[in-house]
Amino acid sequence: MKREELIKKWLDHNLNTEEQNAFEQLEDYNELIKMNEALKHFKAPDFSIDQTYETLKTNLEVKKSNLNHWLKPFLKIAAILAIGFSIYYYTTTLDTHVNTVIAEQTTVQLPDHSTVALNSNSTLTFNKKDWSDNRELKLHGEAFFKVAKGKKFDVITTDGIVSVLGTQFNIKQRESYFEVTCYEGLVAVTHKHNTTTLKPGDTFKIIDGKLLANEKENAMQPQWLRGESSFKSVPLKYVIAEFKNQYKQNIITENIDLSRLFTGSFTHNNLDLALKSVTIPLNLSYSQSGESILLKRE
Amino acid sequence: MSKSLQDNICESQLFERLYKKHSKNLHDFLYYKFGDHLNPEDKVQEAFIKLWQNCGKVAPNKAKSYLFTTANNLMLNAFAHQKVVLRYNNKPQKTSTNETPEFLLQEKEYHQKLQTALSKLTEAQRVAFLMNRVEGKRFKEIAELLDISVKGVEKRIYGALKKLREDIDEL
Repeated sequence: MKREELIKKWLDHNLNTEEQNAFEQLEDYNELIKMNEALKHFKAPDFSIDQTYETLKTNLEVKKSNLNHWLKPFLKIAAILAIGFSIYYYTTTLDTHVNTVIAEQTTVQLPDHSTVALNSNSTLTFNKKDWSDNRELKLHGEAFFKVAKGKKFDVITTDGIVSVLGTQFNIKQRESYFEVTCYEGLVAVTHKHNTTTLKPGDTFKIIDGKLLANEKENAMQPQWLRGESSFKSVPLKYVIAEFKNQYKQNIITENIDLSRLFTGSFTHNNLDLALKSVTIPLNLSYSQSGESILLKRE
Repeated sequence: MSKSLQDNICESQLFERLYKKHSKNLHDFLYYKFGDHLNPEDKVQEAFIKLWQNCGKVAPNKAKSYLFTTANNLMLNAFAHQKVVLRYNNKPQKTSTNETPEFLLQEKEYHQKLQTALSKLTEAQRVAFLMNRVEGKRFKEIAELLDISVKGVEKRIYGALKKLREDIDEL
């Protein structure tokens, strides 16, 4: 019992001098000391507190820097805003195109409340941006304009530029056919550097590059707005071309002088009636087979 | 009120003090318990990183148990019940030695026996015993570290000593 007590006290590093002497007298003292010395070799590897703390600190810094992650979502939002803004800017500054196909008519409202009625098979191009400063549009085909008062209003066609200041006028620009009719106000037509001024009722007409005499127009609006195409002394081929714009049917002519002049009109919503309106005055007959119509002399 | 605010572990000065106080003991504890093949130094680092991440949730007086439990669990997760092998560090040999070759051989044999005997101890016994013998800690200090009574520590250490001597005699 005394021996166990001594060993325990030795283990606890708690021997006083007297007990130390007694402990050294134990018969297994040498063995204990031998083991004790040998055990010292099993010491844990050196653990440097300061050095490992430095390592730990760098790891902790990394964790801390995660706090800055509010920046990432912020950048995401900023990128989305930038992309969205550029798309918005791109689309709003893009030219606006209005197309009509055969047998289709449409009305376009411009930013300044001017209106454009677009006849079939026509294209209108304009830019909404800076409209109040720069009223300019491009036209292929036929359209009737009601222009609100304001700055210069330009319609650019391949055959010439039509400029106005608040008025109503019709432009018809088809293949080798250019016609401008003024219904109200004053219209200036520039064709090959010659400017012609049109008063209400005046018509400016160029067919095959030749300027035709002006004729008075009494109507308040072009006929096509009421569903009719009307012609005054127009070669038959332009009548047929216009017919093709209004009806899908293909028109084939046989032994017909296409330069004969036609005066009259045809409706847009009744094929038979329209064909009769064109053929009867010219003593022609027509026969319909499927999608094509054959015109020949009677 | 102001005291509890100051005692927040998130305070880097307090955290550093905790590290200086506990890291070595934690490292030694892990080493004597599991040996060195699972890299106790890394586990100490991991445990302290965990403590830092949870600094708001752990009260300072609970930090020590938190660290020991966390590190112990980290070890157990990685631990595949390998046999614990404690490395025997040869001190640099003196070039001239007055020991006889026979004595050196005997000594080597004794170390190997001791190593085997140590691996046969229970984890609890080995940790307490080596903390006491190698690190020179007193029973009371070990009791505080392991959260057990002084009597319990005494029992473990004395039991370990007895078992070691029996095993060595047998071998």
